[in-house]
Amino acid sequence: MLAPAGVWLLLLFAVPMGIVVLVSLGRTDPIFEAVYGWHPGNYADVFDPLFAPVLLRSVTYALATVALCLLIGYPIAYYIARFGGRWKTLLIAAVVLPFLVNYLVRTYAWVAILSDEGLANGILQDVGLAENGVRFINTSWAVIGGLVYGYLAFMILPLYAALDRMDPALIEAGKDLYGNRWQTFWHVTWPAAFQGVVAGCVLVFLPAVGDFISAQLLGGPDTYMVGNLIQQQFLEAQNWPFGAALTIVMMGFLLIWMLLYVRSATRASREASA
Amino acid sequence: MTPGLDALSRRDLLRAGAGAALAAYGLAGCGIGHGIRGDVNRVIEPKVDGDLFYFNYSQYINPALVKEFEKRYDVRVIESYFDSMEGMLAKLRSGNAYDVMFPTAEYVQRLIQQEQVLRIPRDKLENLDNIYGYFNDPWYDPDSAHSVPYSLYITGIGYRADILGDLTGSWDDLANEEAAGRIYVLDDYQEALAAGNLRNGFEMNTVVESELNTTEEWLVGLKPLLRGFSVDTITTMSSGNAWIQHLWNGDIINIRYRVDDPDAYVFEKITQDGFPVGSDAFCIPVNSEHPGTALLFIDFMLDPKNAAKNVSWNGYPMPNHGQDETFQELAKGDPNIVVTVDDLEGGDQFANLPQDDRELWTNTFLEVKAS
Repeated sequence: MLAPAGVWLLLLFAVPMGIVVLVSLGRTDPIFEAVYGWHPGNYADVFDPLFAPVLLRSVTYALATVALCLLIGYPIAYYIARFGGRWKTLLIAAVVLPFLVNYLVRTYAWVAILSDEGLANGILQDVGLAENGVRFINTSWAVIGGLVYGYLAFMILPLYAALDRMDPALIEAGKDLYGNRWQTFWHVTWPAAFQGVVAGCVLVFLPAVGDFISAQLLGGPDTYMVGNLIQQQFLEAQNWPFGAALTIVMMGFLLIWMLLYVRSATRASREASA
Repeated sequence: MTPGLDALSRRDLLRAGAGAALAAYGLAGCGIGHGIRGDVNRVIEPKVDGDLFYFNYSQYINPALVKEFEKRYDVRVIESYFDSMEGMLAKLRSGNAYDVMFPTAEYVQRLIQQEQVLRIPRDKLENLDNIYGYFNDPWYDPDSAHSVPYSLYITGIGYRADILGDLTGSWDDLANEEAAGRIYVLDDYQEALAAGNLRNGFEMNTVVESELNTTEEWLVGLKPLLRGFSVDTITTMSSGNAWIQHLWNGDIINIRYRVDDPDAYVFEKITQDGFPVGSDAFCIPVNSEHPGTALLFIDFMLDPKNAAKNVSWNGYPMPNHGQDETFQELAKGDPNIVVTVDDLEGGDQFANLPQDDRELWTNTFLEVKAS
């Protein structure tokens, strides 16, 4: 029964990752072609102090993205799950629909919206809120905004799934026990849907930390992220082995979070069935 | 332990690591993405032998000419794009088969060294006589055996004359305080370092570490004034985000097509410090499946009438006498965007640096971006 999934994982995950590991141990020859070899020194180069701020920045942006996605996504998911009624499917479809458009195209749309002579500044100037306009683009906040926009659906969907699964009677019970809205939410809704929160946070954090498009199109001179670094090594520097080593180390770092999530989900599942 | 992960023991991990080491040892010396292979001396004729797979920067050729070619020869032109020379190489190395591509001069030399481009039968092209004599035996392709020049470019500074007035003609204009926060440098390691090297009085292609460190310091010093690094120069300027943009000459023509006040957008040739000048060329990859159609396409683009149509759309001069008048007319208000043969012969062109020196350059730019 597990064979099809196993074959799928082998062909589309294990084999490609194995190739990336082998590439990371290679070197670049004098005519700039990457060749296989045994050069584990590529991994030592990853820990050059020069890259520490880049990694820290990437994690900071990703955490900010998670926080904003949670702040924006939770109310949306809650409303759809609790009050969507027969419109639930349509509302979820509305959340997912923009993601049928390529991520790069959507980010370019934000370039047009946030530019100095773009839509946002046009509106602000027309209503008299900012006579000289506001610098939105080429800032850290533009990058984080682009990441939030890019990954918000990954927060909303698991949250919606968890909230939709929750028995509404639990909320009624909370109110019956003289809990006000906030107490009922904090003591009943939040714990009941917590696995959805964890899933959403992981699904947003993992791709956000490695993103490069938002930083490239919306960022400024000081918004370089680890995804840009990897892109630069593969394309500009033609240094595939070092780029692969960076990729493996980043994946290792992200795997830790993934394993924590799996552990948390498994524990929650055991507790639920106990 | 977590169910499912129990089976992943330390022994399994060690086995996997040993397996990877053995695989690496066994594969040592084997190429990764070995690139394209074929007979560089394959005899090709200009004749229709299938649809044309065209590989270029986007928006770098007049689409009307592409349609005209399709109609004339009853073929389809399937377009693929790259956004940098390195991106072009990466896609080539993956084994993709293209019929015509447009590398810059130093990349033509590199592709010839790697035996990845076909010899072009110059005697079979009818319109080759229109090309500037300089390209009969250019430094990057002896006897012009493997390439036909496509366009010329110089790198300078585009700026808003309506806001800033005149600039100084030096790369120090990238540090113009009046434009602080609205300045972009090209996100291209060659161009960024070249500007710094020339500004500091060094050889443009210097590989002296101390000189590159000085250039690095200058670029890092620019960062507080910069709004960003970008090759999307047309968008940055036409959107109003940039008042000063490090860019290529032809882009200023494209910018002017998109704005309400074209005269406000001016191209500055950096005569004080020197500037990069370059060219790119038509080449036929060695694994091309339709080289005959590719030759027809090259000859079609060399036709003087088509060259004139192309430059009026593209904004970049072609080294083709057929477009001279058209480009002079286009550049009437701004002679700075003209690229002359004197510029080519006496100017600074990017060299095909050996691997160690190239790594020095890319690492220097990386340090600028990451700092």
